[in-house]
Amino acid sequence: MIPVLTTSRLTLRAPTPEDFPVFAEFYASDRSRHVGGPMTREQAWRALAKELGHWPLRGYGRWAVEITETGAFIGIIGLWNPLDWPEPEIGWDLMNGFEGHGYATEAAEAARAHAYDVLGWPTAISLVAVANDGSRKVAQRLGATRDGTFHHDHFGTMEIWRHPAPVDLSDGGMEAYA
Amino acid sequence: MTDTLIRIPTLTTERLTLRAPQASDFDVYAEFCASDRSRGVGGPYNREQSFARLTAIIGHWHLRGFGRWLVADRETDEPLGTVGPMAPTDWPEPEIAWTLFASAEGRGIAYEAALAARDYVYDVLNWPTVISCTVPDNHRSIALAKRMGAVQEPSFQHPTIGELLVWRHPAPGTAT
Repeated sequence: MIPVLTTSRLTLRAPTPEDFPVFAEFYASDRSRHVGGPMTREQAWRALAKELGHWPLRGYGRWAVEITETGAFIGIIGLWNPLDWPEPEIGWDLMNGFEGHGYATEAAEAARAHAYDVLGWPTAISLVAVANDGSRKVAQRLGATRDGTFHHDHFGTMEIWRHPAPVDLSDGGMEAYA
Repeated sequence: MTDTLIRIPTLTTERLTLRAPQASDFDVYAEFCASDRSRGVGGPYNREQSFARLTAIIGHWHLRGFGRWLVADRETDEPLGTVGPMAPTDWPEPEIAWTLFASAEGRGIAYEAALAARDYVYDVLNWPTVISCTVPDNHRSIALAKRMGAVQEPSFQHPTIGELLVWRHPAPGTAT
């Protein structure tokens, strides 16, 4: 089951076939270099299938994020834990043209609340490729702090950012990190 | 907007259950992927790649509305293989694909499961035609295509896998 989450501006929902053109365009572009791309259309189609299949195997996964008002599909954000990951992470990939609005932070905060409050995770990390400055800023805005490095054969060297624990968020939430 | 369930129907045959792949199937699936038997599907693959491939099999169902089942022993639920219709973007047209794990070899299991899959695509999905693809040196797979009454057509050249033999199944209502 892939639940729907809502934030003030965004809806987090299951990826659909209609998301594929935008998803493929992101993965064809240089912006995807930090998350395993660029890749061909065929590879991108399988990547979208993998996002969906992660849900029943793990009981959680990444949502397709859309702007509630317009329905525009703007990112793939959520809880990600393939077999070659150091531990479950909160991941965010913004589709092309949707950077700079705080969407990744807003959606990732909702995903983190789901991980802590619904799934009962005691902790969560996010992985940031060393050259991905935009992603690092999202991690910082979410209150995460550096906690070492992880090397992946395909993705390269990634920084581990550890999120505040559930107990640290319950007292004041995001305002504590504003 | 409502929650989404990835819908994968369950089929049963005389000896088999065709059902959604699940986490408990992973070790057997990864063992197949690591073995020489996976050469016909682009392998061998390590465990990490195998996990990604299993998620892709499941996700295909949601993107296409059909996909491959995990074939399990109807009595014991032991995973025996994957069988079903698939249509990634780089395929010539939708095909019925079959993969058997080592323990399932030689008992007609792929045949039994593939027949159920073909009935499903004809009777439930209402496809007018369907093919199966095999690599040229997978003689067991070619024998199964022939046993199902499929007839060879010109090959398809896949950009990474190479030559795929194309076998067209008898049309709905004409298969025996």
